[in-house]
Parts: sequence; C-alpha cells; structure tokens
Amino acid sequence: MTYTSMVRNLCLSLLLAGAGLTGCKENTISEGVLPYFEPSTTDPDGGTWRTVLLSSVSTITVPAPTAITSDAYQAELTSVKNGILTSTPDQNTAVNYWGQGGVVRWNQIARQLVAKYNTAPVYNDATGQYLTVDPNAPVASLPFATRLYALLSAAQYDALVVAWRAKYQYNRPSLNRQNIVTRVPVADVPSYPSEGAAIAEASAQILTYFFPNEISYIAAKANEHKQSQLWAGINVASDVRAGEALAAAVAAVALNRARTDRFSNSTDSWAAMKAKAPYDVTWESLEIPSRLPVVPLAGRVKTWFDSTTVARLAPAAPPLTNTTAFQTALAEVRATADSRTRDQWATADYWNDGLATYTVAGHWNLIAEQLIQEDRQNELRSARTYALLNRALHDVTTTGWQAKYTYFVPRPAQLDAKIKSSVLMPNNPAYVSDHAATSAAANTILTYLFPAETIWLKKQSDDAIISTLYAGTQYRFSIDAGVQLGTGIGTLATNWGKADGAK
Amino acid sequence: MQQLIRLSLILIYLFLPRFASAQGLMNGFMKGDRKASLAVTYSQETFDTYYRGTTPFRDPNLGTVTTQAINLYGVYGLGYDLDLIVTAPYIRTEASAGYQPRQEGFQDVTAALRWEAFDYKLGKARLAWLFALGYTMPIQNYVNDNILALGQGSKNIDGRTMLHFKSGSFFVTGQFGYIRRGPVTLDRIVNVYDPSQVNPNSGMKVNVPDVTEAIIRTGFATKRVYVDVWGQQQTPYAVGTDIGPGIPFPTNAIGFRRVGGTLFLRLVGRLGLNFGYSTTLDGQNIGKSTRLNGGIIIGN
Repeated sequence: MTYTSMVRNLCLSLLLAGAGLTGCKENTISEGVLPYFEPSTTDPDGGTWRTVLLSSVSTITVPAPTAITSDAYQAELTSVKNGILTSTPDQNTAVNYWGQGGVVRWNQIARQLVAKYNTAPVYNDATGQYLTVDPNAPVASLPFATRLYALLSAAQYDALVVAWRAKYQYNRPSLNRQNIVTRVPVADVPSYPSEGAAIAEASAQILTYFFPNEISYIAAKANEHKQSQLWAGINVASDVRAGEALAAAVAAVALNRARTDRFSNSTDSWAAMKAKAPYDVTWESLEIPSRLPVVPLAGRVKTWFDSTTVARLAPAAPPLTNTTAFQTALAEVRATADSRTRDQWATADYWNDGLATYTVAGHWNLIAEQLIQEDRQNELRSARTYALLNRALHDVTTTGWQAKYTYFVPRPAQLDAKIKSSVLMPNNPAYVSDHAATSAAANTILTYLFPAETIWLKKQSDDAIISTLYAGTQYRFSIDAGVQLGTGIGTLATNWGKADGAK
Repeated sequence: MQQLIRLSLILIYLFLPRFASAQGLMNGFMKGDRKASLAVTYSQETFDTYYRGTTPFRDPNLGTVTTQAINLYGVYGLGYDLDLIVTAPYIRTEASAGYQPRQEGFQDVTAALRWEAFDYKLGKARLAWLFALGYTMPIQNYVNDNILALGQGSKNIDGRTMLHFKSGSFFVTGQFGYIRRGPVTLDRIVNVYDPSQVNPNSGMKVNVPDVTEAIIRTGFATKRVYVDVWGQQQTPYAVGTDIGPGIPFPTNAIGFRRVGGTLFLRLVGRLGLNFGYSTTLDGQNIGKSTRLNGGIIIGN
C-alpha cells in the first residue's frame, strides 16, 4: 500500500467515524432489548396450585362465560378482529410493551417506583436546609420495598391461580384457535378470564396502596395493559372484565393483609429499644447531621411463612465489641478497606443498591426476570417465581431488621473512623447484613426453580454476600449470620414451592 | 508526509466544522520545527461547595475536597506549523469529612496535534489561525462514578480552532472547541427512576455528555517573561443529568466559567518556572474550585 492510499484511507475512516459520531442520538442510558417468546408450558393444572393470600382458590368464584356461539361473544370477537386491522402506532407500542409479560412488566414498574421513592433527606450546609422533600411521600426503604414486592407478587400469583382454575373449568377457546393471529406470542391457554387483565388490576391496586401519589400513572398503565390484550388479539372484552373482577377480589384480600400486618406501627419510637439493647456499644447514625433510621420497627411485621419457624431462624447475639472475635472482624474490615482493589470496588458498587435504587431485593428481582425469560415461563409461573422469592425476601428483611434494632451493632466506621467505605454508609445498624441474608435466600430459591443456572447464581450470590465487606460497611460475622438466616428462610420458601402443586 | 497530514486535517475540518476541539488550556504559541519542551507541574485544587445542577451545595459529609495533581506536559514541533502535544496527569483527590476513600492514580493521557493553518501579517502584528485535534483516553480503569472520581473515564475526541493575534509582546488568543465524549460502562446497573425507559434497569453503559468550550486569553510574552489572564467557559452540549442520589456521575452535564492567570519566568538557559491560579465563577455539576499550580519547564 502506498503512502497516499494509506493516508486517504485514514481520512476516509476518520470521516466515516466522524459522521457516525455526529449523527447518532445520545441516550443517557443504553438499554437492553428484551426477547419475545411463547411460554414453554401452559400448566392446565395451575388452578389447583396452592394459593398464598386466599385460604382456598374456591373462595373467589368466576361466573361462567357466555357461549362462543352467542351473538354477544361473536360481536366481541368481531370487534377484536376489526381492532387488529385498524390498530394505531400507539396501540402497537403498547402491545409490544406488554407482550414481554405482564408479571415481568409490573415487577419492573414496581422496581422503578421503589427507586423513585427510595430517598433520604439531603442536607445543604450552604443554606442550612434540607433539599425539598415531600413529607407525604413514602420512603421506599428495604423493608418497605420487600413488603411491596411480596404483596404484589402474592396478589398477582393468587389472581392467576384463580384465573387458571376458571380457564380450564370453562375452557373458552383461545383466540389463536379461532383463526386470530395474536400480535405477540402467547401461551395457548383458554381465553376466559383474561390473565393480563387480572395481573393489571391486582398490580395496580397494590401499587396504588403503596404509592398513592402515583395513582394516575399507575391507572394509566393498568388501563393500557388491559386494552392491549384486546389490541393484541389475546382476549375479548368479556375475558378482560372477568379477569379484572376476580383480581379486584384478590386485591381486597391482599390489601386487608397489608392493613393488618403491623407495618403501619413500624415508625413508633425506637429510642427506648436502643436504651435496652443487649449490646455494649450501640449504633449511631454516621451522617452529618445525624439522621433518624427509617422504619426501625419493621421487624415486627407479620411474616409470610410460619412465624414460629421464622422466629427460630433469628440470628444469635453478635460478639460484644470488646471480644477478640469482634476485634478480629473489625480489623479485617479495616485491612480490606485499606487495600481495596479496583475489582473489589466494582463488586461493592455493583451490589451497592443504595439510595435511589430498587434495593438489593429489587436487584434479585431483576435477576429473576432474566431467568424467567430464559426459561420462557408463562404468566402464572412467573408470578409463582416472584411470589416465592419475594415472600422469602420480605421475611428475611423482617427478621434481619429485628436483629438490627435489637442489638444496635455499630457500623465499622463508628468504631474505627479510619475505615473508608466505597459506598454511602447505610443509615442503620450493621448486624445482620441484609445483603448477605437477601442474597443467600434468593440464591436458595432461584437455584431450586432454575437448577440449570446453579453455578451462575452461586457466583452472583457469593459476590453480593461479600460485597459489603469490600465496601467497608459490614463485618464478616454479620455477613455469616446473614447467610445463615437467608438460607434458612430460603429453604422454607423452597419447601413451600415443593408442596404447592406446581411441577 | 507533513503535506499529507495537513491535507487530511484540512479534509476533516472541511467536512466536520463542529469538530473544532479543545486541549485543556492549550495556547496559541507554536513550538517551532524540531523544538520541544517538557513541563512538570504540580497543582492543588480545592472546593467546599459544588453545584448540584446549578444550585450551590455544601455537603457536611464531604467537607472540603482537595485534588492534587502532577502533570506531565510535552510539546514537540513536528514542523514549523505542526506541533504534537502529549499530557498525562497523576491525580490524588480526597475529602476532609465523611467516609469516602481517597482516589489516586494516573488519569487520562491526551495526544493532540496543533496546526497553524494560516498566518497573516498585519503591519508589524501577526494573526494566526490554528486548528487542533486531540484524543484522550483513560490510562487505567479508575473509579469514575463517584464525586471524588479522578475523571469521567470516557474516551474523547477533541477539536478546536484558535485565532492568535500577536503584536510586539502583546497577544490575544481566542479559541473554541468541541469535546466529543464517548460512552462509559459503570460498575453497576443504572436504575434511576426514568419513566421514559422502555426496559428499565438493564444497562450499565451510559453516555457522557459532550461539551463545547470557549477560551479567551491575553497577555504579554517576551523571551524571559510570559504573563497572561484568561477566561474559560465550558458548556454541556448534549442533555445530561444533575448530581443526585443514584445518578451516575459520568452522565452529569458539566459546565463552568473559570478565570485565571499564568506567569512564566525563564531562569537560566532552557529552564523556566511556571505559576498559575484560577477560580470558578459558577458552574453546573462541578466543584466551585480554586486552583494553584506551579512547575518547571525545560526546553525551547
């Protein structure tokens, strides 16, 4: 190659690169693209699976649908057919969005709202004031978030069990079997009642209870989800109405549980508890100015799994600060913080899941989402996966919170101010590590549900468990106790899953 | 060869007028054919107030942030009208309060070509029109998603054009640049609340907003003494975020207005001393910093 041609080529490539660079739209965040799939199973026996909130699936009756030969049904069917032929771009966007799976989408929405509300007051020393915070907005702390994820998933799951029972009881044929090609791949299940509408209604009611300020955003999403079932050719209007009605009945049961699970008492005074903490040095907020902990009494909340069994899994008393065991653990935190590698920093950051995020429980929901899609789970199975996972994560958090606000173990930096943490210091007592407990529980459950991913899940969970030691916010004994707690409750959930009727 | 490089630069600027780029505080003085200089400077920059968006903010959990840097800056004249400039800083940054660890290490290496394209004689005065094109990349995978980060961690293409007027010892240089900042991959999945995201919580790769930069610099330059004052304005060009909980630092839209001055004294032979001062008038997602620097310059 001659000099001239080399330079010419160089110029050309620079020009092309330049054109590419100037022409592209810059997104703040590069997003992944989710695949569409037809679910791998239809689970005709889904209506017999054990429900969580309902004492029995038969407590909610779904009225029999009109026959498909009736004029009323045929009119509905024609309307769906015409709708497909005259669909608008907005409708197509909605169909594509919800076509990824209603359970997965509502879980995403829940995670986004948690991230939005997972706030802390920010103090500005320049003005001597906190940056504007809405005192009426709930703070989506870890107990708040896990409770939300659990109730949402349980309500979705129960509504779908009821829907599945009615589907195979009445066997109204899917629209795919009536010469309609759905716009997105769906499970070949009877169409009455609509599972999409059931998910939308149950999810919207639960989320609105948690985020009353978001009512119009949530209602718009729910309405779009329900309508998209018609636009996609999945359901007719009477399917959607029936799904909505059964889900409203399930949501009422779920909300009744929410109102009586003692969470609303969880902002009581905690100073008295701290005064009687059976520990030698008690926790203090390390923030300047010091900040009150969020929901310190969330450890008293009603558990999902058998309360006596859960109580037995409560972590033992941590070593006192003057013991060798404690001093060794503290020295390890210091040594790790002093010699923190870039990789350790990255692991701590990846699993930080601090303020303005969906929390560490939300992180495991994201992992579950990937596995659900890999496994091509239908709506019912997705809801079961989330319901098993999230109930366990809520119980883990409840039990962990109890330990935090029983022992009031200080964070490492309170005892050794030279310990620097690579993440913002969580504003709650150290013992036990909620990252370790959550991740051990999630690993136990997801490994049971997705055995093919055992090795990958172990790696994720090992990273998450050790991440807080890398970050400089946790002691090893706190992490170990968290793992024990998480594994114990994870096993409870796994046992539930083994006996719930799903194969 | 030089002719060809010059040709390629002409082509680039013809087709991409936006790619006028900026090299830190590059000046308008050409080095001259086969001449070189190497500067080793030390700088210290402090701030206790930073801007969240454009709101001044003081975080008691951060206190005063101090950044020290040792910067290597080399210039070599490839021709009478073409210079190669290379810089690489080693940085240490720490906060006086709170529990955030100190960050320390090599930051970014920058290589740039500065080309004096046109040179007009106006009586005894001279007016030069220069172009520069640079490329910046991180020397190592430093932490970038932190208020104490060494840098943004992005790979940048950086172009600028300058008008340099000199009459006797007086000079004035005006320059305008565009810095194209490439995307960076964070250590974490981004899950800030953004209703417009179709598939939330799925990405670790984020965009670093581009910026434009305008600098005006004036002063006196003689064989033995050089003194200048300057003003610099950096403006975010693309949409970016504001500092806030959960917001990745690299996506923040960064802008500022700074003023400063430089003094250079030639001691003996090819050895000179360099001093500088600058302060931030206002900004956007950046520290309201004051900076002092001093260094040794060896060369022509």
